Amino acid sequence: MTAVADINRVAKPLKSRSGAAILVGLCFLLACAAPLGLNGYGLYLVTLTGIFALVALGLNLLTGYAGQISLCHASLFGVGAYATALLTQKAGFSYLVALLVGALFTTAIGAIAAVPALRLKNIYLAIATLGFGVVLQKIIFEWRSLTGGGGGLALNAPSIAGYEIDATGLYYLTLAFLTVGLIGAWNVSRGRTGRALLVIRESEIAAGSLGIHAARYKVTVFAISAFYAAIAGGLFAYLVRYINPESFSVGLSISFLSMVVIGGLGTIGGSVVGAIFYVIVPELLRGIKDAPGLVFGLLLVVVMVFMPQGLWGMLRRLARRS
Amino acid sequence: MIANLVVGGLAAGCLYAMVGIAIVIVLNITDIANFAQGEMAMLATFFAYWLMDGVGLPWWQAVSLAILFGLVQGIVVQQVVIRPLIGGPVLSAIIATLGLNIVLNSVAGLIWGHQTFTFPSPFAFSPPFLIGGVPVSVDSVVNIAVGLVIIVGMTLFLRFTWTGLGLRAASQNQTVARLMGVSITRSSAMAWGLGGLVGAVAGILAAPSLFLDTNLMSALLIKAFAGGVLGGLNSLIGVFLGCLTLGIAENLAGAYVSPSFADAITFIVIIAVLIMRPEGIFGRVRVRKA
Repeated sequence: MTAVADINRVAKPLKSRSGAAILVGLCFLLACAAPLGLNGYGLYLVTLTGIFALVALGLNLLTGYAGQISLCHASLFGVGAYATALLTQKAGFSYLVALLVGALFTTAIGAIAAVPALRLKNIYLAIATLGFGVVLQKIIFEWRSLTGGGGGLALNAPSIAGYEIDATGLYYLTLAFLTVGLIGAWNVSRGRTGRALLVIRESEIAAGSLGIHAARYKVTVFAISAFYAAIAGGLFAYLVRYINPESFSVGLSISFLSMVVIGGLGTIGGSVVGAIFYVIVPELLRGIKDAPGLVFGLLLVVVMVFMPQGLWGMLRRLARRS
Repeated sequence: MIANLVVGGLAAGCLYAMVGIAIVIVLNITDIANFAQGEMAMLATFFAYWLMDGVGLPWWQAVSLAILFGLVQGIVVQQVVIRPLIGGPVLSAIIATLGLNIVLNSVAGLIWGHQTFTFPSPFAFSPPFLIGGVPVSVDSVVNIAVGLVIIVGMTLFLRFTWTGLGLRAASQNQTVARLMGVSITRSSAMAWGLGGLVGAVAGILAAPSLFLDTNLMSALLIKAFAGGVLGGLNSLIGVFLGCLTLGIAENLAGAYVSPSFADAITFIVIIAVLIMRPEGIFGRVRVRKA
């Protein structure tokens, strides 16, 4: 798909706008009612989906819109988790404040991760960000006095304004952040920044000749996606209540990238669909004896071979046809 | 001391280089970073092990058949998974290879289980060479020699045969290559076949020192990418030297700076090099219009 087509699509309002609005509203209501019909494990899974969807949203702005591959998002996610956990447990911050402060800290680190991106592309950028991620993970691992090293960090239940937050509370908190994140990503992608990012993805020289400062936008979008990853990390830390540097490895970064691609590069809805696919499908396959990995891998291949534009691209094509 | 470390680094670097060469053959011609390369090589190595242990063939026959298996495997993967994705987004193809990676790993796990096997090597009991007082194991010498042979062979093939010329044309500009009568699907299949072949060689050479299990290649794969990027992905010799450099750098950083930070230091060096030379140390800067 060319940038022109993308920009046209972004600029034109949807024909069936009211239909889409009703659908989005229904999804939101369903998400709000979800805790009523789910047991503890089910609630954990939906919360995890929401958290991964947040990371995927940020990463999609970076990879789908701006065309920059990152393999350090698991580490940024981890930095967010550790920052939030340490600020609440050791510095005594309230949970929400810790989340935001931790996210701002991670945003700064994300901006540093953008430095190699100013000169590198494609696989070179992938390896450079992968290296950055390994370094971050190693720092968390070796800074034992602060982070507990390989032993990990066990966390107490979080509290906001004196009220302890249980699993349901954390779910609604995640839902709130996801909603804000969706609206934010939607606005970024449709605004001046989003259009600039699309041009940068197609050609940096063209972007430069249009007066778009590619370097500045790259740093901005790296920082934004780090912010998303960090908020998600802070939520994740208190979802699992135990964090360990090993959980934030390259494998998780690759999973985040897969979510974005399976959902659909350069689509907001695709990020959510990709996260749902990545969390829920392995759960459904757990019953199959011996071969959950085999079936999941096959599904991954099949989805890519038959829907190179991702699940969201497929849904959109079906919607247009009907 | 330092000579021993360098030699040890070379031995590790060679293994990275084999996988790196396999990856780069596919990457240069099809633009796809093949994340399944490691598991494809692992499967070929298991096939060789099965031929020796289960069927009872001697080493040379088993290895030759396994290398042939690697070639066929590459072509089959290309036809089934990659061919429908030609012309689509490159990232989709990369994620498809990632899925394939998971599939092959579970298949090998289902067939051979998750225990570790000892893979025989005809050089295992040969005494090490002494070069300037430093013992160098025969395995590493064989690895370096095989790596060089593959590079020379590939370079001759790409330079001096019509098919090789077609492959190079396809890697530079698919549209123009197609206009000149080069079949893109066929050259892509050939690239995958060659990648599978070199990968099988890499697996067979790595297995005696790393021991054979389903995760044989997972560590090598990322290192191979890193070494390739360090050297520059657009020349085979660059990839080879980059991987050797990576192996040596890892060993030296581990011994002289800090063993636990060896990986991190290596990657910091790679990032620093890339910021100064975005195309890798030995890479040529390609002028692009778009």
